[in-house]
Amino acid sequence: MFCKDDVKRKNMLFVPPFGDGMGIGMEMKTVMEKLEILSDAAKYDVACTSSGVDRKGNGKDMGNCIKGGICHSFAADGRCISLLKILLSNECIFDCKYCLNRKSNDVPRATFTPREVCELTMNFYKRNYIEGLFLSSGIIENPTYTMELIFQVVFLLRTFYHFQGYIHVKGIPGADPDIIQKTGFYVDRMSVNLELPTADGLKLLAPNKHRKNILAPMRQIQNGIIQGKQEIVQYKNAPSFVPSGQSTQMIIGATPESDYQIMSVAQGLYDKFNLKRVFYSAYVSINADKDLPALHTGTPLLREHRLYQADWLLRFYQFKAEELLTEKRPNFNVLLDPKCDWALQHLEQFPVEINRADYHTLLRVPGIGVKSAQRICGARRTGNLRFEDLKKIGVVLKRALYFITCNGKMMYHTKMEEDYITRNLLALPEKLPFQKDTMTYKQLTLFDDKVETAELFGGQKEILQRVV
Amino acid sequence: MEEYTLLCEDSIDGILTGIYEAYQIKKEEGVESHDRIHLYAGEMVQQRLCMHDIHIKTDLEKSHKVIRTLVEKLSEENYYDLCLAMVSDGQDKADAVYHTVVRALQTKDRNMFAGLQNDYILKAFTYQRNANNELMHLRGFLRFHELEQGILYAKTGPKNQILPFLMAHFADRLPSENFMIYDEKHQVFGVHQKQKEWYLVQSDSFQEEELVFSKDEQCYAELFCHFCESIAIRERTNENLQRNMLPLRFRGYMTEFQSKY
Repeated sequence: MFCKDDVKRKNMLFVPPFGDGMGIGMEMKTVMEKLEILSDAAKYDVACTSSGVDRKGNGKDMGNCIKGGICHSFAADGRCISLLKILLSNECIFDCKYCLNRKSNDVPRATFTPREVCELTMNFYKRNYIEGLFLSSGIIENPTYTMELIFQVVFLLRTFYHFQGYIHVKGIPGADPDIIQKTGFYVDRMSVNLELPTADGLKLLAPNKHRKNILAPMRQIQNGIIQGKQEIVQYKNAPSFVPSGQSTQMIIGATPESDYQIMSVAQGLYDKFNLKRVFYSAYVSINADKDLPALHTGTPLLREHRLYQADWLLRFYQFKAEELLTEKRPNFNVLLDPKCDWALQHLEQFPVEINRADYHTLLRVPGIGVKSAQRICGARRTGNLRFEDLKKIGVVLKRALYFITCNGKMMYHTKMEEDYITRNLLALPEKLPFQKDTMTYKQLTLFDDKVETAELFGGQKEILQRVV
Repeated sequence: MEEYTLLCEDSIDGILTGIYEAYQIKKEEGVESHDRIHLYAGEMVQQRLCMHDIHIKTDLEKSHKVIRTLVEKLSEENYYDLCLAMVSDGQDKADAVYHTVVRALQTKDRNMFAGLQNDYILKAFTYQRNANNELMHLRGFLRFHELEQGILYAKTGPKNQILPFLMAHFADRLPSENFMIYDEKHQVFGVHQKQKEWYLVQSDSFQEEELVFSKDEQCYAELFCHFCESIAIRERTNENLQRNMLPLRFRGYMTEFQSKY
């Protein structure tokens, strides 16, 4: 006897992709419509990276993976296109308030067949349009069933099409651990969306989702990765489980969490769940709901940018969240990047001597990045560095000059005073990756109460008025 | 004090032969320092018409000797980086590479580009980085079109002569495809036949109009163009950022920026 699921699954597998499976022909229009609906529905998912795993071609099948990832194009919003980022289906039984595909929204719905997804992936990959597949889905019937459909696609793609390129799928919270485990052996990266930074936010905006259901598969994937690594040491040819690690994302600005809360959550995820990446997605107001920011509120791009800057400080600059923010100072400075801001609060640790300071200390100097810190450490072995050498190495001197000495001398005669340096740093235009008008200062503090705002900007109010 | 200027062919083997000869001259003529010897390749050669210049004829045996030394005394990675610098469009790349090699062999520093205070090293490093950046870009931005017989064809116009590096990348990625990449700026073809080694062909009489595309080609190009449009978030439109990440000079070769789809 067939159960309903089996019939459906069978249909999904055996409906030929385009006509009889050779070329697009008659079905081109449906595939085009589906692709438009299901890529449009997937666009709010941030992760489009193809990095984290090096896999040479096997000399026979199509595809390989490059550790650093490859960007294949950039969309009109400036975001990288690396993977064929689509939903398998935007049919969804859930009703998350922030989501375009929520059950109660009246939007066009579509579902790909596994063969369609595979044909698209292979043909796009062959033409070097993409680095691989990113597959997520709305919840069809129930989480386990949805995860099974996703599994079928990657299974088909890996075993029938022999695709060796990058595959990133979403782990569906609440799905049977067995199916998540099975999927993990066929994909490079799996991610479970945290959706919102705190459990309270999730409860408010995603009534069908529960924090523990999200953290459970995240933990399962983490354990799978750790176990997989041990097995690879033991047996060289053991299949690798999620070799490129797991990531997650959270929506920023739909709920009233502070930057401090968000960064603490991110740090917890890195420390306790070994995540490769945490992505922050500035909330784009697409749905009207009393629990959401008003429609057409600007997208908090600057806030998202600051969070990414701070995220970099956690991952590559050996900073801790509590060094950057505190409960009393819970939000990032709109005018200065988090590293400058931190340095100004810790002037007692500066200036540092370029020719002697250790790598860790160099990393904390504004204007010195990971690469220039490494180059400094390499170059000073062959001889003392002067300011003009630093410029060649790539140090942003106009920022760094307040915090460093070369051979015991500062570049100019400067005062080690917070106000003085702040004023000078603010006079340098910060290169932001977006136009200024997308997010105003007022919108950014949408959820801050007035006292907090006054505290946050109290010291710099005058400057603020001059700059803005 | 006498200065020596050596002129060589603008190719990896040409420059490596030049380096070999420079070492020979230093030894035979008893030149006290490599700083008195200069090596130029390609366009720089045409600009100079000096009687005392020494023209070097490319010699594969000599260049292979240099390669062996570089790989043994420095490392495979360092040699790879030097190759990138040698295919770059830096005017004085040969001189920069030559003097970087001299210093690296003297100091035996595994991190060849460490001493960035030195102008030669800084230049070689910069050229290597330029060529590598373009290679990174083109690994993603190159677009293949499927021809009637299933052959994949791509056209590109890189500043640096990085076609061999691109071929190696795609040969690993698409081992069972017949494909070719045409570098129209340097008029070179890279050809890869299914399951075989790739090779380069010089050609200046190529008629692109004669190519016939497969019947699926148009469909997939259109599908991808639609995908690129629908994947963008309208509220975040940011053409400056798009231009920073994907400079205009690449777009002429890219499917999704052609108005015909």
